[in-house]
Amino acid sequence: MSIITRPWGRLTLAGKVVVPLVALLVLLTVLLLVGFASGALPLLLGLAGQAVGDNIDVVRFAGAATVLLLFTVPTAFVIILMEMKLIAFVNLRLGPNRQGPWGILSSTLHGFKVLAKEDFTPTGVDVPVFTLAPVVTYLGAVMTIMVIPFAPGLFGLDMNIALLYFFAVAGLGVIGLMMAGWSSFNKYSLLGGLRAAAGIISYEIPLILAVVGVVMLAGTMSLNQIVASQAGSFLDWYAFQQPLGLIIFFIAAAAETGRTPFDLNEADSEIVAGFATEYSGMRFGFFFFAEYVNLFIMSALTTTLFLGGWNAPLDAQPLLDLFNVTVSTALDPGALGMGLLFLVALGPPLLILLFTLPIWMLKSDWSFLKSLVVGFLLFNLLVMMLVGTWAYMTFPFVAGLFWFLAKTFTLVALFVIMRGTLPRVRMDQLMGFAWKWLISAALLNLLVTAAAIVVLRDPSMPWN
Amino acid sequence: MTARQDTTEIRISPTNVAAVMTLLHDDPGFRFLILSDLCGVDTGSAMQVVYHLWSDSTPDWLRVIVDGLPRDDPRAPSVTFLWNGAEWAEREAYDMFGIIFEGNRDLRRIYMPPDYQSFPLRKDFLLADDAARSPGQGVRHMEQTFQPAEYRRTPVLRQGLGSDAGQMAPGIQTAILSSGEDPAR
Amino acid sequence: MTTEQTIRSLDDPDLFVETPGTIYDAIPPLPPRTEREAEFYAMRDGEMLINLGPQHPSTHGVLRVVLKIDGERVVDLDPVLGYLHRGVEKICENGDWHHAISNCDPLEYIAAMFSEAMPVMVAEKLLDLEVPRRAEYIRVLAWELNRISSHALFVGWLALDLGGLTPVLYGFIERDEIVEMLAALTGQRLLFNYLRIGGVNGDLNHDFLSRLGDWMGNALKRIEDQQKLLNSNEIFVARTRGLGVVDRDMARRTLLSGPVLRATGIPYDVRRAHPYSVYPELEFTIPTREEGDSYARYLLHLDEIKQSIHIIDQVLHRMPDGPVMAKVPRLMRIPPGRAYVSIESPRGQYSAYGMSDGSDQPFRLRIHDPSFFNLQAVGLLMPGNLVADTMAIMASVDPIMGGIDK
Repeated sequence: MSIITRPWGRLTLAGKVVVPLVALLVLLTVLLLVGFASGALPLLLGLAGQAVGDNIDVVRFAGAATVLLLFTVPTAFVIILMEMKLIAFVNLRLGPNRQGPWGILSSTLHGFKVLAKEDFTPTGVDVPVFTLAPVVTYLGAVMTIMVIPFAPGLFGLDMNIALLYFFAVAGLGVIGLMMAGWSSFNKYSLLGGLRAAAGIISYEIPLILAVVGVVMLAGTMSLNQIVASQAGSFLDWYAFQQPLGLIIFFIAAAAETGRTPFDLNEADSEIVAGFATEYSGMRFGFFFFAEYVNLFIMSALTTTLFLGGWNAPLDAQPLLDLFNVTVSTALDPGALGMGLLFLVALGPPLLILLFTLPIWMLKSDWSFLKSLVVGFLLFNLLVMMLVGTWAYMTFPFVAGLFWFLAKTFTLVALFVIMRGTLPRVRMDQLMGFAWKWLISAALLNLLVTAAAIVVLRDPSMPWN
Repeated sequence: MTARQDTTEIRISPTNVAAVMTLLHDDPGFRFLILSDLCGVDTGSAMQVVYHLWSDSTPDWLRVIVDGLPRDDPRAPSVTFLWNGAEWAEREAYDMFGIIFEGNRDLRRIYMPPDYQSFPLRKDFLLADDAARSPGQGVRHMEQTFQPAEYRRTPVLRQGLGSDAGQMAPGIQTAILSSGEDPAR
Repeated sequence: MTTEQTIRSLDDPDLFVETPGTIYDAIPPLPPRTEREAEFYAMRDGEMLINLGPQHPSTHGVLRVVLKIDGERVVDLDPVLGYLHRGVEKICENGDWHHAISNCDPLEYIAAMFSEAMPVMVAEKLLDLEVPRRAEYIRVLAWELNRISSHALFVGWLALDLGGLTPVLYGFIERDEIVEMLAALTGQRLLFNYLRIGGVNGDLNHDFLSRLGDWMGNALKRIEDQQKLLNSNEIFVARTRGLGVVDRDMARRTLLSGPVLRATGIPYDVRRAHPYSVYPELEFTIPTREEGDSYARYLLHLDEIKQSIHIIDQVLHRMPDGPVMAKVPRLMRIPPGRAYVSIESPRGQYSAYGMSDGSDQPFRLRIHDPSFFNLQAVGLLMPGNLVADTMAIMASVDPIMGGIDK
C-alpha cells in the first residue's frame, strides 16, 4: 500500500485535487472511445433521449429549478456589490476599489470568504432547528422566482394563481427567522427573531392589500397576463392607475425584506446581529443571500405588477412606420462569399489595432502590450454591443429581459440608497405605522379602485 | 489671569457631615446647590473625604474636608440624600480607599471586580500583597515587580497589614512621615 | 456480566454541562451585596436580564449595562463599569507632575486637550505660576477646536446609533480636518501631549495657520449643511423628540453638567460661572434649550459648535505676541498645598483636585470627568422606554468611558 500512500502524502493540496481529476478524465476518454468504437454509446444516448422525451415536463421542471437556484447566486453578488458601492457614494467615500477594477470582484471574494469561515454550532442550541433555519429562509425567497416573468417565454411556471403562490411562499421566510431566533441559545437572537416575526407579519397585510387593486384591474392573478395587460407605452403601466398602491407596496416591501429604515431584525447598533448572532460561515451566508434574493424578488414583483414587467416604455414600431423604415435583422452571411473569409480573418485584428494604436500613441506611460490588451477589451465591448443590438431586435425575449432587469435593478438601487440615507424606526413606531396608516391607506385604495372600475367599465355609461 | 486663591476651605469632623451639608445646601444665604466633586484622600496618617461645592452667591469654590477618618475603619455619612448623583462618587471612594459611606444604598465596587480584596489607591497598597490575596496567588510573580511604594521619594507611613507583612515584601521598611510637610495640614 | 464503564469527558458533545456562573454573567452567583442590587436582581414574572455587554457596537467604549426587560420595555438597568480602568490616579502618584500630562491624556481621548489641562492647571495653581498671555490664547484656541471636533463626532454617533450610516462620515470630515491641523501644531492626531506646566509646547506654525484659515473659511457653512441633513428628518425627529426628558430638579440632584444640563434650561457653564484662562475677555453666549429631551441636546450641540467658531474667530484676532512658555525649573518641587481646578469640557464640568507634599511627585491627583455623573442619568432615564431607546439615550448623553473608568 505504501507505494500509493507515500507519493500521495507528498502531494500538496492542489496536487491532491488535480491528480484524481486527471485520472478521471483519462478514464472518461477511454470509455468514450470504447463506447463509440463498439457502438454502445449511440445506443445508450438514444435510450436516454427517449427517456427524456417521455418525461419532458419533469426534465423541464428540473432544469428550470437548477437554473433558478444557480441564478440567485450571481444576482446576489451583483446586488451586494451595488450595495457596497452605492452606500459608499452616499457616504462620500469610495467603497471597495482594490479587488478588480473598481472593486467588482469584491462580492465574489466575500462569497469565498464566507465559505472559508469556520462553521460551528454553539453549545445548547437546538441543532435540527438551528441547521434548517437558513435553509427555510433561503428557500422561501428562491421558490418565488419560479413565477416571475422575466421575458416573453422566459419564465418558470405560468399558473393562474401565481400571485397567491408568490405571497404564500414568500411568507415562509418569517418561519426561518423565528427558527433562527429561537434555536440560538441567546437572548439577543430571541429578541431579533421576535422582532422579525412581529414586523414582517404586520407588513404582510398592507403588502397584499395594495396588490388587490392591480388584480382587480387586470382581472387575473397570473403574473404573465398582468404583464401582458400593461403592453403598449409606459402610460399603460399600472403605476399611473394605482399610484397609492405602488407607494404602499414599496414601503411594505422595504419592511418585508428588512431594509432600512425597517431593519430592526438586524439592527446592529442594538442587538448585535439580531437573529443571526450565533451564525457564522456559510449558514450566515445563506441568511445574507436570502436577504438579497428577497430584495431582488420584491423589486421584480413591483416591476411586474406596477411598472410593466418586460414591456419597453415606448414601442418603436409606430416610430418606424412613420419614417417608413423597415429593419430586417435576418442575417445571411453566405451572401458575402469570399468576402466572408477576408472579414473573419482580417476584421478582428484590424479592429483591435484600430483601438490599440491611438491608445498607445496618446498614453505615453503604457507599454504596447498594455494598450493591446485594452484595445482587445474595447473590441470585445464593441462586438458585444453589436451582437446585443442584433439580438435585441431579433429575439423578443432579449429585449424583454433587458427592460425587466433594468427596471428591477433601478428599484434595487433605490432600496439600497434608502439604506444609506435614513435612520431606523423603532419597533412600536414600525408596527403603529403598519397597522394604523398603511392598512387604512390600502383599504382606501381598494375602495376607490373598486368604485372606479364599476363606474368606468359599466357599459351603460356614456363614455362606453 | 484669574485669581489663584479662589477656594475657601473648611474642615469638619465626620459626625457633622449631614448637618453641615444640609445647611450649606438649604440655607438661602449659602445656596451651595452644586457638588462638583467628591473624593477620598489617603494622607499617610488618616483618611479624608473631600467635597467641592459651588454656589451662585460667591465666586469661590468651597472645599469641605472631612478629616480624621481612621485608616483601619473609615466611615463617613453619605450625602446621597441631597444629591443622588453622589452615589457613584461614593462607590468610587469606597472602591479605591475602603471608606464606607453610611446611608448609600448601593455601596459596592465600581471599578474593580466584585471579589477584589484590596483597596488600590491606599498608600499602603502593595502589588505583592494584592497578588497574595487574589486567585492568581503563587502564579503571578508580582513579588518581583517594583512596588509602588518604592517609587515614592517621600516615604509614606505604612500601617501594618498583619504579622506577615514583612515576609511578603522584605525589601520595604515601614517608615514614618518625616521630611517634607504633611499635606493634610 | 461485566458492567462496562464508559468514561465520558467534558468534550463529549452529548453532555451539556452548565458552566459554573461567573461574576460576569447577567445574574452573578454571589449574593447581592447591597439593597439596590437585591432590588435589581429580584425578577418578576416575564422579566428577563440581558447583558448589553462590554463588547457591543454601540456602547461608547467598553461599558456593560445589565438591562432588565419585560418584552421590549426596559424596566431597570444597572451599568457595570471598570472595563477601561487603568489606574491613572495611582500611576500619576508614582511619576512626576510632567508625566501626569501624558498619563492623563487618554482620559477623555476624544478631546484630549481638556484632560491634559487637568494636571497642568492644578500644578500651575499650586506653584502660583503666571502663564504668558500668548500661551493662554493658544490654549483657548486648542480647547475650542477640540470642542468642535468632539461635537461633530457626537452628531455622527447619535445618528449612527439610530441607524443612519451617513452623518457619521460627514461628522468625520469636520473632525479629520481639525485633527490634521492639530497634528500640524502638536505632532499628534489624538493624544496631543501639548500643554505644559507654564504654557504650551510649541508656538503656532505656518502649516497649522494655513489649515486653520482654510477650514474657518467655510466652517459655518458646512455646519449648516450638516444641520440640514438631520434636523428635519422625520424618522430622526420621531426617534429623539420627547425621549429621555431631563427636568431641572433631576438634573441638579444628579449633578449633571454640560450640554445635558443646559438642554434643560439651566445656563451653567464653567467658563462663565467660574472663569479661568482668558475666557473673561472673550465674548460668547451660553446656548440653552428648554425641553431637555434628546432632540434638544442634539440641537444644543450644534449651537455650541457655532459659539466655538465665534470664539476661535475672536482669539485669532486678538492673539498677542510673546513667549509661549513661562520660566519653570526642570526639576519642579512644588510647595505643599492643595488646589482645585475646573474647566468646561465638551461633556460638562471637568475638574481636578491635586495635593502636593513638597516633592516633585503628586501626592494625590484626583481627576473627575463629567461623563461619570452624566452616565448616572442614563440609569434614571431609561426605565419605561424600549430597548432600542437605550442606545439613543446613551448616545445623546455622550459618555466617554475613558474618563468614567479612568
